Amino acid sequence: MTAIERNNIRNFCIIAHIDHGKSTLADRLLEHTGTITQREMQEQILDDMELERARGITIKARAVAMHCDIDGTRYELNLIDTPGHVDFHYEVSRSLACCEGALLLVDAFQGVEAQTVANVYAAMGHDLAVIPVINKIDLKHQRADEVALEMEQSLGLPMDESIRVSAKTGIGIPDLMSAILKRIPPPEGERDSPLQAMVFDSHYDEFRGVITYVRVMNGTLFKGQKIHFINTGSVHEVLELGQFAPKRRPCEELQAGEVGYVICNIKSLDKVKIGDTISVPGEKSGTALSGYQEPPRMVYCGLYPSDGQDFSELRDALTKLSINDPSFEFEPESSDALGFGFRCGFLGLLHMEIIQQRLEGEADIDLVQTAPNVTYQIMTKMGEILEIHRPQEVPDSGQIAEFRQPIVRVNIVIPEEYVGAVMKLCTERRGVQTGQEYLSPTRVMLTYELPLGDVIYDMHDKLKSNTRGYGTMDYEVIGYQPADLVRMDILVNGNKVDALSVICNRGDADRRGRAVVKKLKEEISRHMFEVAVQAAIGSRVIARETVKALRKNVTAKCYGGDISRKRKLWQKQKEGKKRMKSIGSVDIPQKAFMAVLDTGEAGK
Amino acid sequence: MPADRYGMEARSAYIHVPFCRHRCGYCNFTLVSGRDAWIERYLLNLKRELALLKQPRQLDTLYIGGGTPTHLSSNQLDRLLEIVDEWLPREPTSEFTIEANPSDLKDHRKLDVIRQHGVNRISLGVQSLQPRKLDLLERDHTPREVHDVMNAIRPWLRSISLDLIFGTPDETLDEWKSDIFEASLLPVDHVSTYGLTIEKGTSFWKRKHENSLIELDEDTSASCYEYAIDRLSELGFEHYEISSFSRPAHRCQHNEVYWSGKPFFGFGPGAASYTGTRRDMNHRSTSQYFKLMETGGPAVFESETLNQHRRAKERLVIGLRRMEGWNLAHFEDEYGFSVHGLVGPKLKELIRLGYLIETDSTLKLSRAGLMISDSLWTKILAD
Ligand SMILES: Nc1nc2c(ncn2[C@@H]2O[C@H](COP(=O)(O)OP(=O)(O)O)[C@@H](O)[C@H]2O)c(=O)[nH]1
Ligand code: SF4
Ligand SMILES: [Mg+2]
Repeated sequence: MTAIERNNIRNFCIIAHIDHGKSTLADRLLEHTGTITQREMQEQILDDMELERARGITIKARAVAMHCDIDGTRYELNLIDTPGHVDFHYEVSRSLACCEGALLLVDAFQGVEAQTVANVYAAMGHDLAVIPVINKIDLKHQRADEVALEMEQSLGLPMDESIRVSAKTGIGIPDLMSAILKRIPPPEGERDSPLQAMVFDSHYDEFRGVITYVRVMNGTLFKGQKIHFINTGSVHEVLELGQFAPKRRPCEELQAGEVGYVICNIKSLDKVKIGDTISVPGEKSGTALSGYQEPPRMVYCGLYPSDGQDFSELRDALTKLSINDPSFEFEPESSDALGFGFRCGFLGLLHMEIIQQRLEGEADIDLVQTAPNVTYQIMTKMGEILEIHRPQEVPDSGQIAEFRQPIVRVNIVIPEEYVGAVMKLCTERRGVQTGQEYLSPTRVMLTYELPLGDVIYDMHDKLKSNTRGYGTMDYEVIGYQPADLVRMDILVNGNKVDALSVICNRGDADRRGRAVVKKLKEEISRHMFEVAVQAAIGSRVIARETVKALRKNVTAKCYGGDISRKRKLWQKQKEGKKRMKSIGSVDIPQKAFMAVLDTGEAGK
Repeated sequence: MPADRYGMEARSAYIHVPFCRHRCGYCNFTLVSGRDAWIERYLLNLKRELALLKQPRQLDTLYIGGGTPTHLSSNQLDRLLEIVDEWLPREPTSEFTIEANPSDLKDHRKLDVIRQHGVNRISLGVQSLQPRKLDLLERDHTPREVHDVMNAIRPWLRSISLDLIFGTPDETLDEWKSDIFEASLLPVDHVSTYGLTIEKGTSFWKRKHENSLIELDEDTSASCYEYAIDRLSELGFEHYEISSFSRPAHRCQHNEVYWSGKPFFGFGPGAASYTGTRRDMNHRSTSQYFKLMETGGPAVFESETLNQHRRAKERLVIGLRRMEGWNLAHFEDEYGFSVHGLVGPKLKELIRLGYLIETDSTLKLSRAGLMISDSLWTKILAD
C-alpha cells in the first residue's frame, strides 16, 4: 500500500449523546467506504466488548482507517471513536487532541442534550472543525428544523451548515462524506521533525501483549524503531505497527498526521498511559505533548471478600482486571470491621460498577463493597495537605485547619416545565447557579456548581425522576473548595464500624444520621440479641435505632419425611449468608454498607 | 436391622392420601385437588406399594394423613382401610390415627367405615373456631359443625386431637385467646398449634408478594404462641413438643416415633420411610408416583444416608424439640458422641446465654430458647 499524502488525510471523531446513533453512523461510514462489506457487517462493530453491548455504552475508544477515491484522489479517513460517558472525560480529551474535526451527531427527535453541549465545548477547545449532523431523519416524529435551530442558538453552529442523515437507512451519507473531506482540515505536522506520537488508547491482547493506539503528530514511526514513552520513561522496540481496518493491518511506517497502532513487547497495560507521548530515546527526542495526566480517580470504595471468601483470590482477580484496565487502581487496606481487603479508585461510578460486575461475573467472587466516596482534601494545622480517600483517614477535628471538597460544574438540559423542580433539587444540594440559557423556546440549559459528592451518587437518578426521564446532565471537576464537613461514624452495639463512616456536611449531619440509622435498622435482620445502631459525630450520638431481638423463630411442623427438608433449611440459613460480614457477632449484609448513602432528603 | 426399606422391622407406618377438595391458600403439602378421578388409580398403586412388603407387618402405630383422607368416598375409604388391614395389621393396643376434615365427618357412612376398621384416634383439621379465620384460611366448616362432629365421635374414640393455626394476617391476640378458650370447651385430648408460615408455591405467597396479604408481625405472633403454651398448660395439657400439647397419656405415639429416631414405613406420594440410618422419600408428584408404581416400583425419588456425625446432630436437634430434651447418657450411648463433643464450644455459649438448660443428666430448651429455636438449630447444625 502506498503512503497517502498528508493533505488527503482526515482525522475525526463523532460526538453524540448516548443513543443518538454514533455506533450506527460508524457502521454506515465503514460500509460506504467499503472498509467492511455489508455481509461482514455485524451491527455496531466498534462496540465490541460484551459489557458495552450489555449496557449499550461505548466505553473504550477505538480507531479505524477508511479509504475512498474521489476524482482519482485517494483519501484516508481515520475515525476515532470516543467514549460517551462522563466518567471517561480524560480519555475523550486525549482522543479529541488526535483529531482535526468532529461530527456532532444529534438525534432529530431528541435534540441537543447536556452531554452534547459539554462535548462540543471540549471539541471547540481543541480547535476542531465541528460539523453538525442531524441523525434519524427517517423518524416519523423527526423535528430536524427545530433541532438545527437549537444547534445554532445553543452551540453557535450555523443552521445551514448542518447535514441531515439517517444512519439507519443511509440517507445523506454521501453528503456527509463530502462535508468531511471539505470542511475538516488535513493534519499538520512534518514527517522529518523529531517523533511525537500521542497515545490515545490501548488494549491488551492475549497473544501480542499491549496494543497501543497512536496518532503521529510529527516525525515517522517505523518497524524496528527504538521508541521512548516520555512520561513513563520506558524504552521499547517497535515489533509491528499498522492501522485498524477495522482488523489490524500491519504496514511499514506511520507518518505525521496518521493514526494507527504500535505493538512492542509490553506485557502489562499499566506501562502504557493514555496521553503519553512516544518519541525516540536520546538527542533526537521530541518534547512531550501537553495535556498528559494520570487518569483522575473520582471515587473510591473498599472491596472486601465476603465471609468465607478468600483474600488472595480477590487480589488475583483485581490484578487480572487491572491488566485490562489500568485506570482503576487498588491497594491493600484493612478495616477493623471488615478485615483485609482493598481500597479501589475509579474514574467514576459507572466505572466502579463495571469493575464490580466483572469481578462478580467473570471471577465469580462474592464481595462486600463499602459505600463509594469522593476524594476530599484536608489542610492540617501544620499546613500539610492530606488527600482523603476514605472516611477513616479524617484526622481529629482539632488537627483540621480546612476541610475541602471537590466541586463540579454541572450542565443540565431540561424541558422548560421542569426548571422549578430541578432548581429545587440543586439548591437542596447546595448548588450555586451560574447560568440559565434557552436552547429553544421550550428547552433550557441550567448550569450549577455543586459538590461532586452531591452529584455523583444519585443526582442523575434524581434528575431523571424529577423530569420524567427528559433531563440530561454532564459535569466536570473545576476544583476544591472549603466546606463545613464532618465525619459521621456508625456504631453497632457500641462498636464503631469504620467501614460505615461517611463524610458529610455538618448542617446535614442530623438529618442524614437519622436517615442512615433508620435504613440500617431495616437492613440488619433481627438477631438473638438486641442490636443498637447509632450515628455519632466525634463522641456525640446524633441518632439511634434499635433492631429488636428475635422474638420468635420456630418451625412448627416437623414430622416423618419432612425432617430432612427442615434440617437442610436450618443448615442453609448459615450457608446462605452471601455478601455478608459478621462484625462482632452482628451479621451485616452488603446493602447495609450502601445505606450510609441515604441522604434523608424528602421524597426518598 | 436390615437397611432395606421394605424388609426392615419397623413397627410404625405412615400412609399419605394426596387428595383434597380444594387447596387451601396456605398449604404446600403433597396433594392434588379437583382430581377425584385419580383416587381409584391411587388405591391400585397403594396396594402395589404395600405388596412390596411381601408379608404383612404387625404395627404399634399407624397414621393415615394427607391431604384429606376423609375426602375419599365412604366406599373408597373402606377399600383403602381394607388394603391397610391386609398388609399392616395392628394389636388392639396399637395407636391408629386418621386425619379428618370436620365437614367430611358429617357423612355417617364415613364415620362407620373408620370405626369398623379400628381407628382409635382422629386428628381433626379444625384450624380455628373463629369464622373470620376459617374464611381467610379457606376452610369449609363452621364452628357449629366442629361441635357436632366431636360429639358424634367422642364415645368410641380413644383420643381426639385438633389442629389450630395462629398468626394469620390481621389476627389479634384476643382472637387467638377465643380460639383457645373455645377449643378448651371441646372434649379433646390433644392439641397441635401451628404458627402460620407463608410458604413458596402457595397462593398466600403470591398475595404476600403482591402486597394484598400482609404477614402478621413477629411480636404478635410470638405473643400468641406464648399464650398458647401458658394457657394450655393451665388447662392440664402437657407441652411435650414444640407444637404439641396432650392430656396425660394422650401423646401422639406415632409422632414420638419420628422424634425419637425409630424406624417407620411410609407409603403414598411424598411419604418417607426411615430405617434408622437411611431415609427414602417417594416422589412428591402423584402422577409420577403412579408411573413409578405402574412400572414395578418402588416410587423412591430421593434417598439419604447421613454419616454418624451428621445423624447425631440431626438427632440432637429433633430430640431437643421435645420439651423433655435429651438424657445426656442416653444420647451418648445411642450415637457415640457426647453432646459437647458433638457441637463444641458453641453449645456452652448457648447454655450460658440461657437458651439451653443443662443439668447433671439432661439438656433441654428454655422458654427463651424455644421461642427462637430455629436460630439454635442453625448454630448447632453448622460445622
Ligand atoms: N430510526 C433510526 N434509528 C436509528 C438511527 N441511527 C441509530 N438508530 C437507532 O438508535 C439506537 C441507538 O443507536 P446507537 O448507534 O447504538 O447509538 P450510540 O449510543 O450513539 O452509539 C439504536 O436502536 C439504533 O438502531 C437512524 O438514523 N434512524
Ligand atoms: S385441607 Fe389440609 S392438606 Fe388439604 S389443602 Fe387444606 S390444609 Fe392442605
Ligand atoms: Mg454506541
